[in-house]
Amino acid sequence: MTGYSPAPVDRAPARPTGGPAPARRAPRGTRLERFAPLVLVAPAVLIVLLLRLWPLLLGVNFSFTGDGARNGTAVGFDNYATLFGDPLFRTAVRNVGLLVLLLPVAVAIPGLLATFIHLKVPGHRVYRGVYFFPAVLSPVIVGAIFNLLLAFDGPVNAVLGLAGLGPVDWLGNPSVAIFAVVGVHVWATFGMALVVFLAGFSTLDSSLLDAAKVDGASLLQTIRHVIVPGLSRTIQFVFVTTMIGMLTSMFGLLYVMTNGGPAGSTYLPEYYVWFQQGHLNQPALASAGSTVLFLIMLVVGLAQIGILRRSGKED
Amino acid sequence: MRGSRLTKWLAAIPMAALALATIYPLVFTANVAMKDRREYTLDRFAPAGALRWDNIARAWTSVGMSRYFLNSVVVVVCSVAVLLLLGSMAGFALGRLRFRGSSAVYLGILAALFVPFQVIMVPLARIMGDTGLIDTYPGLILAYVAQFLPFTVFLMTSFYSAVPSEIVDAARVDGSTVYGVYWRIMLPLGAPALLSVGVLNALFCWNDVLISLLLMPSVEHRTLMVGVTALRGQYSADIPTFASGVLIAAVPVLLVYLFLQRQIADGVTAGSTKG
Repeated sequence: MTGYSPAPVDRAPARPTGGPAPARRAPRGTRLERFAPLVLVAPAVLIVLLLRLWPLLLGVNFSFTGDGARNGTAVGFDNYATLFGDPLFRTAVRNVGLLVLLLPVAVAIPGLLATFIHLKVPGHRVYRGVYFFPAVLSPVIVGAIFNLLLAFDGPVNAVLGLAGLGPVDWLGNPSVAIFAVVGVHVWATFGMALVVFLAGFSTLDSSLLDAAKVDGASLLQTIRHVIVPGLSRTIQFVFVTTMIGMLTSMFGLLYVMTNGGPAGSTYLPEYYVWFQQGHLNQPALASAGSTVLFLIMLVVGLAQIGILRRSGKED
Repeated sequence: MRGSRLTKWLAAIPMAALALATIYPLVFTANVAMKDRREYTLDRFAPAGALRWDNIARAWTSVGMSRYFLNSVVVVVCSVAVLLLLGSMAGFALGRLRFRGSSAVYLGILAALFVPFQVIMVPLARIMGDTGLIDTYPGLILAYVAQFLPFTVFLMTSFYSAVPSEIVDAARVDGSTVYGVYWRIMLPLGAPALLSVGVLNALFCWNDVLISLLLMPSVEHRTLMVGVTALRGQYSADIPTFASGVLIAAVPVLLVYLFLQRQIADGVTAGSTKG
C-alpha cells in the first residue's frame, strides 16, 4: 500500500456538517476526528470477527467435543474417527477427488470459448451475454429446471432416443448421478469463468497475438505459446475460484436434484455437514466435517497456487 | 493463424449450439408453466396452446410464493443496504485514510473471504440460537451481511484507493470532517462501484438457499429459494405449477441481468486482474 496519509489532528474545530456524526464541541470533535478511520472501519471489523473468524475457531473447538450424551465433553479425535468410518463421508471425499480430476476440463472449456470469443468468431457479441446468464441463476432454480430436463421421461432422454441411444436414469443411477450433478454445475457456472477469462484477454498484449498471426502460428501453437503464458495469472485465478465453487456452491443443486442420493452417491462434504447438523442434530460431528472441508480447501488452494507458480517459472 | 477464417466458422457452430443449450432449459420451463396438466402429459415439448397464466397465478396465491417473495425482497433489500453502508465506510477508511494497522485489518478481512459458510455454519447456528436471532429477519440479514461483507470491503477498498487524494485534501481544506468527506463526497463518488457490488450482493442473497434454510426454519419465514425447494416436494405431480414457481423465482434475476449485466461482470472480474 502506498500513499500513507494520516488524518491531521491539529486543526481548526470541525464545522458541523449534514453528515451522520452529530455536531460536536471542538475537543471532542478532534478526538472523534483522530479516530475517524477506526470508527469507520469498526462495524465491518466487528461483524467479520464475531460472525466469520470467531465461529471458525469455535467450530474447530466443537469438533473435539462430543454429541448427544457426551455433549460438551472433550473426546479428542473421536469425531474424526467416526467421520472417516462413515461410508457417506468417505463417498463425499471420494467425490471431491472426482471434482479435482474434472477441474482441468471445467477450466479448459470456458478458456477455449473465451479464446474464440476474443478471436471474434461469427456471433461473438451474443455468446458472452448468453453464456454468462446461467451463472447468475440460483443453484435452486438451475437444479429445479434440470429435475424436469433429466427426468427419466424428460427432454434429454427424448433427444437421446431420437439418436437411437437408450434412456439414461440420470438422477437415479448411483454411478451416473454424480456426473449429472457436476455436469449441471459446470453448465451453470462456466459463464463465470468465461467472463473472467475475457477480462484477462483484455489485459493481454494484442501485438503478441498479431505477431503470432503474422508468423503463421496455428491456433494450438498460439494458445500454447502466447495465450497460456500471457494469462497465467488469470488461469490460476480461475482454477482456484472454480475449485472453491465446486466445493462450496453445489449445495443448492444437491438439495434440489438428488438429496445426496441415490444411495448417498452424490454426497459432498458441504452436504454431509448440513445433513449432520440440520437433520441428525450432531453438531460436533458436523464441525469435524467442516474442519476437514476447510483443510481440503486450504490444501487445494495452496497446491494449485504452488503448481501454477512453478510451471510459470519453467516457461 | 493459418486457415483462421475456416477455424472460426467451424468453432462458431458448436458455440451457437452451446448458446441454444444455455437458453433452452429456461424456455422449456416457461413453456411448461403455460401448459395445463393434460397438455403437459400428452406432449411436453410442443409450444403451449395459449398463454395461460393460471398456473402462475396459482403458484403466486395458493402455494405461498407471494409470501416467500416478499420475505426475500425484505431480506435482500436490508442486507444490501447494510452491506453497502458498512462496506463503503470500511473501504474508504482502508483505501484512502490508511491508519496504523490498516493493512493488518485489510488482511484479516481478506482472510475471512476464504472461510466458506459451510465451515462456520454449525457454530453460527448456535450463536444465532443463543442470541435469539434464529428464525428472525435481523438474524438472517446479519448472517448475509457477515457472509458478503469481506467481498464488499475488498471491492470498495480497491475502488477508493484509486480515487486521487487531491479530492480528499481539497475537502479537508474546506473544513470538512472525515465523516463529512465520507458522507458528502466519497459515498456519491463511489456510486458506480456501489451499484456493481450492490447488484452482485443482491444476487448472492436472493439466490442463497443454505443460509436461509439453516437460519429461517419456520414456514412463514421462508425465502423464495427455500419456497421453491418446498414446492418440489408438494407439487411433484403438478409439474406446470412447479415450473411456474421456478419461473417466479427466476424472472427477477433475468430482469436484473438484462439491465445490469455489465455491472455484474465487473464485480465478478474485479478480483482477477489486480493484486
